[in-house]
Amino acid sequence: MAGVLYEEATRVYPGSDRPAVDALDLDVHDGEFLVLVGPSGCGKSTSLRMLAGLERVDGGRIAIGDRDVTHLPPRDRDIAMVFQNYALYPHMSVADNMGFALRVMKAPREEIARRVREAARLLDLEEFLDRKPKALSGGQRQRVAMGRAIVREPKVFLMDEPLSNLDAKLRVQTRTQIAALQRRLGVTTVYVTHDQVEAMTMGDRVAVLKDGVLQQVDTPLHLYQHPANVFVADFIGSPSMNLAEYPVVADEAVLGELRVPLSRETLKALQDEGGDRVILGFRPEAVEVVGEGEPAGFPVTVTVVEELGSDAFLYGQYADTADPARLAQTVIARVDPADPPAKGERVRLRIQPGKERLFSAVTGRRLPT
Amino acid sequence: MRYHRARFVAGFLALPVLLYVVYVIAPYAQAFYIAMTNWRGVSATPQFIGLENFRRLLDDSVFWRAVAHNGVLLVLMPVLTIGIALFFAFLLNVGGTSGVAGIRGARFYRVVFFFPQVLAVAIVAVLFQQVFQPRGNGMLNSVVTALGLEPIGFLSNPDIALWSVLGVLVWQAVGFYVVLFSAGMASIPRDMFEAASIDGAGRVQLFFRVTLPLLWDTIQVGWVYLGIAALDVFAVVWVMTAEHGGPDSSTTVMAAEIYRNAFQYFRFGYASAMGVVLFFFTVGFAVVALRLSRRERVEF
Repeated sequence: MAGVLYEEATRVYPGSDRPAVDALDLDVHDGEFLVLVGPSGCGKSTSLRMLAGLERVDGGRIAIGDRDVTHLPPRDRDIAMVFQNYALYPHMSVADNMGFALRVMKAPREEIARRVREAARLLDLEEFLDRKPKALSGGQRQRVAMGRAIVREPKVFLMDEPLSNLDAKLRVQTRTQIAALQRRLGVTTVYVTHDQVEAMTMGDRVAVLKDGVLQQVDTPLHLYQHPANVFVADFIGSPSMNLAEYPVVADEAVLGELRVPLSRETLKALQDEGGDRVILGFRPEAVEVVGEGEPAGFPVTVTVVEELGSDAFLYGQYADTADPARLAQTVIARVDPADPPAKGERVRLRIQPGKERLFSAVTGRRLPT
Repeated sequence: MRYHRARFVAGFLALPVLLYVVYVIAPYAQAFYIAMTNWRGVSATPQFIGLENFRRLLDDSVFWRAVAHNGVLLVLMPVLTIGIALFFAFLLNVGGTSGVAGIRGARFYRVVFFFPQVLAVAIVAVLFQQVFQPRGNGMLNSVVTALGLEPIGFLSNPDIALWSVLGVLVWQAVGFYVVLFSAGMASIPRDMFEAASIDGAGRVQLFFRVTLPLLWDTIQVGWVYLGIAALDVFAVVWVMTAEHGGPDSSTTVMAAEIYRNAFQYFRFGYASAMGVVLFFFTVGFAVVALRLSRRERVEF
């Protein structure tokens, strides 16, 4: 068992100026489930493949436990990987697939059989042990891929979008199964996904990447509540945060007729960078519908209402404004699912005090409040 | 409706079937017939002599030597060619030092390996005649003599000549199979190799446990092609060796004997009988090869 340490790990693909992974610093604790998340092309898979030894490390170092593995070949790293397409050996039975690593290591026959059986029981695969992968369903193949990783008893599990080939329902089921399994086995796991819901529900901590640069590493809840910058704020959460840039006039951010007072710290930070604009964000659930007379509210025309049963989301446009930039914006708000407003209706919304998040319009970073 | 469909299908089939009958079936039938005559190429009405030609063939020691040489080539040429081609293709595609990639310069080597394939067989044969020159002026023997050894009679020593022929055949065939197997390896998903290397497999195990089984279909096709090529060997033997299959019939093959009997001795009937025997050997080989190598198909 061991943690994983990235120190300024960098990968530049030949023929490209911009690093695919740029000086990544990341400390994965022993036994932790860390999720790497980001949009496609953000370098999350490359980071994982660098840890696996499938991708060269052009700068910095990577360690597993106390061992520097930066330039070790994959087979000397004592890791197991679950691939997006599972990469099961088509010419081998399920049992042979799962026992492959042990056979390569020349483990005794009985030991291989025992460990394969154990993993098969754990993953409910016992009846399929003699089948070839092509005779299995997608979910079963996924479990075989997991089993192949478990049988090895490696120091670290690496998972590269292992759920993306499953249908939505199975994905949700498998998500919890993998998370539970990882907690039970207690093996350090680095998990790559582009799906922020997966990241939030599975990870002990989540690392958000963009353009090869690490944006923030934190627990899912902290990431949600205290995003370090506009990108993280926008990326984490579904539906995403309402974000827009507003002018600052006399200690207040001006949202049309609505004024949001800014704290002394915020104003000072703004002054230091010389900006007179601020990016203000609020989550859909930080909004409430208020009566017409409420002064702290703003009017919105409802364009779409998404009713999910347990939740309802209102998508609307700012009303009573001639500003084209504001007209183009969509406001998302969570409303009472028992009594959602109708399409085309005009409602007055209010941001709950203290629930707004402020970011620099210059750097995109969070401003102190 | 049914009638129309039959006419539709027949319309498309008619021309190819006609061509096949005229250019493939008819010559075969004719050869089978000529094999049962004593035709010498001049008389308009060859005399029918039944299976006499085949009976004579049974006692023809030169022909049976040719068959034996074809047999040796049939076993060794595919084995050596496929073995060497697999080795090179693996190096060019998987066996490199960093990750799952070919060795440095893989694309260059792929082109170079293909060169022999581009040369006409007769040119290859003439080239190797020079390479195999018996005294110190041959390319190989100049090295041998420089090492202080007696020159080797690559083509003049009856015990060695057949191996020289085998060497040339393999040299000429390898390039094509490197390309064929490279294409086969390229169609194996990369993550299969990556998974195996993470699972602890070194190059040898990557080759034997992953590459070979997943490439089996391609190898099987190569095996059949090479086997048929080994039964059909002619140009290299005829052009390169002394006395067209010598010295002393030590390198002769069936096709060379057929040519010799038909066009030097003008025994067309007898040569046709050899052709018929060769036909059955080839069909027999194809059936056996496909039977033996048939396995469950690997599906991704």
